Amino acid sequence: MRDILSSVRQRLRRVARATRTSGDAGHGGEDGTEANGDDPALDDGAVVTDGGTTAGSDGFVDRLNDRFGDDFTESAPFWLPPFLLVGLFVYGAIAWNFVISLTDYQGFIGPDYSDLDFEMYVRAINDSAVIDATVNTFLLVVAFTAVALGFGLLLAILIDRNIRFENTFRTIYLLPMSLSFVVTAQFWLWMYNYNNGVVNIVLGTVGIGPISWIGNSSIVLWAVVFALVWQFSGYTMVVYLAGLRAIPTEHYEAARVDGASTLKMYWRVILPQLKGSTISAAIVLMVFALKAFDFLYSLVSGYRPPNGADILATKMVREAYSTNNWAYASAIAIILFLMALSIIGPYLYYEYKQGNL
Amino acid sequence: MSDARHDESDPTDSAGGTDGLADRLRDDLAGLDGYRVALYATILTMTVFFLTPIESGLVTAFKTNPEGISSTLPFAPPPPQFFTLEKWQTAMAALGRGMVNSALYAVPATILSALLGSFAAYGLTQADWRARYKAPVLTMLVAGIFIPYQAVLVPLSQFWGAMPLQELLTPLWVLGVPEAYTGLVELTITHVAYGIPICMVLFRSYYRNVSEEMIEAARLDGATFRRVYRRIVFPISTPMFAVVLIYQFTQIWNDLLFALILVSTESSPAAPVVLILAGLGESMEGQDFALRMAGAFIAALPTLIVYIMFGEEFAEGVAT
Amino acid sequence: MARLELDDVRKVFTDDDGSDIVAVDDVTVDIEDGDFLVLVGPSGCGKSTTLRMVAGLETVTDGDIRLGGRSIVGQKPQDRDIAMVFQSYALYPHMTTRENMSFGLEESTDMADAEIDERVENAADLLDIPELLDRKPSELSGGQQQRVALGRAIVREPEVFLMDEPLSNLDAKLRSQMRTELQRIQEDLGTTTVYVTHDQTEAMTMGDRIAILDGGELQQVGTPLECYHRPANHFVAGFIGEPAMNFFDATVEGDRLVTDRFEYPLTADMREAVEGADGVTLGVRPEDIEVTADGPASDDDEFDTVVDVVEPMGNENAVYLGFEADSRDTFVATVGGMRRIDAGESVVARFPSDAVHLFDAASGDALHNRSLEDAADTEPRI
Repeated sequence: MRDILSSVRQRLRRVARATRTSGDAGHGGEDGTEANGDDPALDDGAVVTDGGTTAGSDGFVDRLNDRFGDDFTESAPFWLPPFLLVGLFVYGAIAWNFVISLTDYQGFIGPDYSDLDFEMYVRAINDSAVIDATVNTFLLVVAFTAVALGFGLLLAILIDRNIRFENTFRTIYLLPMSLSFVVTAQFWLWMYNYNNGVVNIVLGTVGIGPISWIGNSSIVLWAVVFALVWQFSGYTMVVYLAGLRAIPTEHYEAARVDGASTLKMYWRVILPQLKGSTISAAIVLMVFALKAFDFLYSLVSGYRPPNGADILATKMVREAYSTNNWAYASAIAIILFLMALSIIGPYLYYEYKQGNL
Repeated sequence: MSDARHDESDPTDSAGGTDGLADRLRDDLAGLDGYRVALYATILTMTVFFLTPIESGLVTAFKTNPEGISSTLPFAPPPPQFFTLEKWQTAMAALGRGMVNSALYAVPATILSALLGSFAAYGLTQADWRARYKAPVLTMLVAGIFIPYQAVLVPLSQFWGAMPLQELLTPLWVLGVPEAYTGLVELTITHVAYGIPICMVLFRSYYRNVSEEMIEAARLDGATFRRVYRRIVFPISTPMFAVVLIYQFTQIWNDLLFALILVSTESSPAAPVVLILAGLGESMEGQDFALRMAGAFIAALPTLIVYIMFGEEFAEGVAT
Repeated sequence: MARLELDDVRKVFTDDDGSDIVAVDDVTVDIEDGDFLVLVGPSGCGKSTTLRMVAGLETVTDGDIRLGGRSIVGQKPQDRDIAMVFQSYALYPHMTTRENMSFGLEESTDMADAEIDERVENAADLLDIPELLDRKPSELSGGQQQRVALGRAIVREPEVFLMDEPLSNLDAKLRSQMRTELQRIQEDLGTTTVYVTHDQTEAMTMGDRIAILDGGELQQVGTPLECYHRPANHFVAGFIGEPAMNFFDATVEGDRLVTDRFEYPLTADMREAVEGADGVTLGVRPEDIEVTADGPASDDDEFDTVVDVVEPMGNENAVYLGFEADSRDTFVATVGGMRRIDAGESVVARFPSDAVHLFDAASGDALHNRSLEDAADTEPRI
């Protein structure tokens, strides 16, 4: 065995030597150390070449790396371009938006940045349409999020009960999520149709209705919430399902052995462990709700949503692109942004505390 | 614990004898059945709830307007005398150019945002630089997911209005491409910029689970940071690329707001399919629901195909 | 090949709240060309951090690391001419064995493909894995992955191999097999190797020399037998050897050591060694304790004890002895595996004076080690 090994070793050495003769100067120097480990001249030579290349050209880079960390400059080509793009389009745009909201910009003549004040915000606070839209936004966000969470949790628990064709059912429940707001708005417009819609026909069999779902300003918002729940509770289900699957089966078994009923088991053992899933799902749902513009626009094919369903998102776009009140629209956008920030700020802080950022 | 196991594994020993055992077994089965029946009944009811709007839309798309629509139940298939394919043809004629336009910006925007998201995630997870400086960069990128787009719309219009993009793209117009297609270039870049945050987060959750020792091994093997991405990280992220591409494609294809702002009219030669669909059936006499439904299915077709083929990946993208 | 020197190497981590944690405290080790040094210590002792500083994966807070006489501090890992074997093997999952092994040569040299291939195949022969060259890591067993990880290091022909607990993911049998093989390969290639482990058995059997770390501080560097028979302090004496050395806290009273259980006579050598020490810890290895059945104790270094528990291990029995029946504090002695001995039995235990170690109770430093006249040539029983 020894003999075979030493012959292998000799072969390895031979290959190494061949490399040295064919390799370039830099590598030759390094390999040279290996063969002539005691030859100081060769060692020194290698030091000079290495030192020369690093110290000469990269002084600034070294200083950057010293300050920010070893891989700072090397990794910059990866994260810096996307970061700049996002910085420009998101944060630059928000800052610009804020400045525009301080001008009197309207119509087709560009904004005048010399005269800045909070006039548009005063106007917004005194505008009953903005107040209504804010209330509607708030109602929509809260109702939609709460119902979608509860309904999604129910779906997740059902799917998690070891049923057959689990994948098929899951695919069906999540299907609406893959559709555009524009598409689902068409479907629900038809569902809510006064004479021929499924909703009124089903309710008619039990003697209710017909109801004008879209035309009645006091129920249209809830009709929209219902349609959005249909579209997004599949999402909540998927998030909760992932949370449920992460809970070790021992917890279910332990609760059973402790004599807990199914209901008690979910309430006291399982639900508390879904806190993380609930928080992240709630945040995403709220963001979806704030983006419900697409849905409302498509319901009426225009900037003016049905009476009683105007939210800040639609109001803002209408002010800007329908009546060209750019500065006023920007101010409404900032109000909407602050509402979103009041949700995501604490969330990001929570994630940071959890060590996820 | 030991009692429970005893009962299950060794029933013949139990004090009740064979008769008691049989009774208990029967009871268990009965209870199980009732429970399972209720469970499946609930699940099927939910299935009906989720499928009804889609089913009703699908059958309606094959009905004549207004006779077929008003004289049949909305979820019943069309009887022969009211059956027609005409709505599909009309919808296809109206939406066809929109489908092409949507694909023209959705595909490159999807690929670019996924790639840039992957770059950013790699530079922010596997690179070793101070957390003190890294955290703000990361936070700003993550927060980008949650921004309501209304907050950037006016500056976005101003920005694209001021950019001499139309002049830059002159060679295209010379070749006969309608100048309205500038809007698609704007849409592509806009979607890339606003898509990067979510793509970054999806990739980041994946890269954080990549073995740190493996990356160190590659660095020790002499690979530079760039080469580690090229030869190790990029190849092993193919499953995540599938997830991100699918998720991002549906998001971009489905989005109306940016299309509305940047292309503005559905009559533009560059109008994306969602923009045309949003106005479809409205301009005709009354509301032609059959046409709307046919249009909705045509517009949804690409995302439906992607969803049905890659449902698992889509679910994963959604859940992360 | 080259000599690796660590000179007062120090690593301080700064916590989030700004407090400093000293992970490695002024470690100085000199590893001769071709030497196999094992860094051993309990988890958290700084051994992995030390290795990672040599690799360049951690920065050095203070001190110097020299390879072949020149400092490598501040050099990038890839410029250091080292190869590392990781605990998790860290194989690239999307590459075959061949690609895994050639990756380093492709990235760090301009070597032609044919040469790379030749090197990879030679290394595969050496490791006896030529048939695995075209498989991916997911198709390999743990032991095979281990060999590929080793092969990846070997093809680089580095100045130094660094190994971070490379065998700890293998089952016991495979581990002892790989231990022998690893030693053979290292001897054969003659590459300077630093090997990190928490397992003192691995340290004793594999190292030319071992360096024992605790709390970031180097406790002792020496051959396995030096560390076993001439431990520098209480920690080393307790860490090396299985079952561990027995310790008894004692005070010096004239020519005797007094513990709360027994008194032990001091020889002239010992008396000289303990002079000035307030408290002393007496240490004696289990295999040095002579257990005889015929009592009662007749000599100063003999004690009457009761057998508490016997743990048969086949080749020997570990016997836990108390100074009275059902005593809570017991000490352990090993006796031959064929000898019959039962719990509850009264026996006499003798601590031979030439096998006794004495440590300063306050500092833990060794004051007196066992005499080595005979022991020097015998293999320790571990």
